[in-house]
Amino acid sequence: MTALVEAEKTVSKKGDIMSGRVIVITSGKGGVGKTTTNANIGTALARAGKKVVMIDTDLGLRNLDLLLGLENRIVYTIVDVVEERCKLKQALVKDKKNPNLCLLAAAQTRDKTAVTEEQLKEICEELKKDFDFILVDCPAGIEQGFQNAVAGASEAIVVTTPEMSAVRDADRIIGLLEAKEEIKSYKLLINRVRPSMIKSNDMMSVEDVVEILSASLIGIIPEDTGIITSTNKGEPIVNDEKSLAGQAYRNVARRIIGEDVPFLNLEEDTSIMSKVKKFFTGLIGKEK
Amino acid sequence: MKDIFTDLYNKVLGFFRQTEKKEEESAKAVACNRLKFVLMQDRTNLTPELMDRMRKELIELLSRYVEMDKEALELGFEQEGNQMALMLSIPVLRAKDEAEIEAILEKEDEEKAKKDQQTDSVEDDNAEAIEDETSDNTEETEASEEDKNTSANDENISEEIEITEEENHSEQAEKKKKKSAKTSA
Repeated sequence: MTALVEAEKTVSKKGDIMSGRVIVITSGKGGVGKTTTNANIGTALARAGKKVVMIDTDLGLRNLDLLLGLENRIVYTIVDVVEERCKLKQALVKDKKNPNLCLLAAAQTRDKTAVTEEQLKEICEELKKDFDFILVDCPAGIEQGFQNAVAGASEAIVVTTPEMSAVRDADRIIGLLEAKEEIKSYKLLINRVRPSMIKSNDMMSVEDVVEILSASLIGIIPEDTGIITSTNKGEPIVNDEKSLAGQAYRNVARRIIGEDVPFLNLEEDTSIMSKVKKFFTGLIGKEK
Repeated sequence: MKDIFTDLYNKVLGFFRQTEKKEEESAKAVACNRLKFVLMQDRTNLTPELMDRMRKELIELLSRYVEMDKEALELGFEQEGNQMALMLSIPVLRAKDEAEIEAILEKEDEEKAKKDQQTDSVEDDNAEAIEDETSDNTEETEASEEDKNTSANDENISEEIEITEEENHSEQAEKKKKKSAKTSA
């Protein structure tokens, strides 16, 4: 509750009416971690005292509720709001732990045509009044679902992984975002980075991806098996203080708020075998 | 006995040194190169067929002025920040002299004239009159443009001849930046 009061203080300090930032999280390719990114950045922002609402626009294939562990609490969805079966506020599901965090769930039984671009824009405008951040979870692809999700947003986070297909799709998405006047800025988030594979030149490095896409970076998230367990538990990994991926997501949230946070050093290989190898390589080096 | 120990030492050393070995064609390098190539195609909407056509047309145009290694001609896009550049690298075997170039241009003009006549004869009478007028005009402008081109290129060519003579007709690659196009999807 103290966090909420703090958030309100920061807003009143500025002396203007709350006008939230609408950020769409998109990728083109499926399975690169859009929804995971959404759940974690949203949770991290809320932990930092911001009022956050997440909108799942993946109609028919909703998953954000699962990642947050809110699947049993959903009464109304975005389609119910649009078709006026309930008020917008009624459809917002509060997070279990953090009262700053809300979810507007997608309808599982409907398809992408159930909500239009205009309707999503209206919803975003309405939510801007009450929230600091509106995070829009975009479906995979570049069809109507993407167009809808982007409609109300003024910022974008493009999620990719250091794999060819994901980078290619990200490039396509960046092209589409650049063509949209409403999108004022977009940032790149590189997910599932494997430092050991990069070190052995078996995987493209973060620098390679940034150079190829010539986009500015907002986060580097290491591959982490903890993501799977956290999804299974319905508990975003940012709540795990020990997790490196969690730390990386918390840093992304701080960068979004405007803090200057250096990127994590993922180069350090901490496995036992590598330590042994390092020790002996050092010894041989000295002898020579 | 000593041999066994040195052998063992080398083997152990080899194991720990493995990580330092760098392969020339790593998976990362292959991925980067393939991606860059495919993204250039995606961004420009130029299919491999169109690129090939552009390549052929450029060869046709440039071989009026220089004798070049057609096989080694490289054509591709390169990213320079937010700008995309079309890079053309041509190994020049020999620059042609003025007389040669003029002979080629004259020959081409003759061929063009022949072609025009052929197409004209196929057309019906009314169209023929209009066609003649327009084709005459375009020929005139083209000829004047080509004159300009040859005069502008004279200096370059004479320079190149000097260089090639000095270097005993060695292959010389010249990079030309033909044009830049801003990326937009």
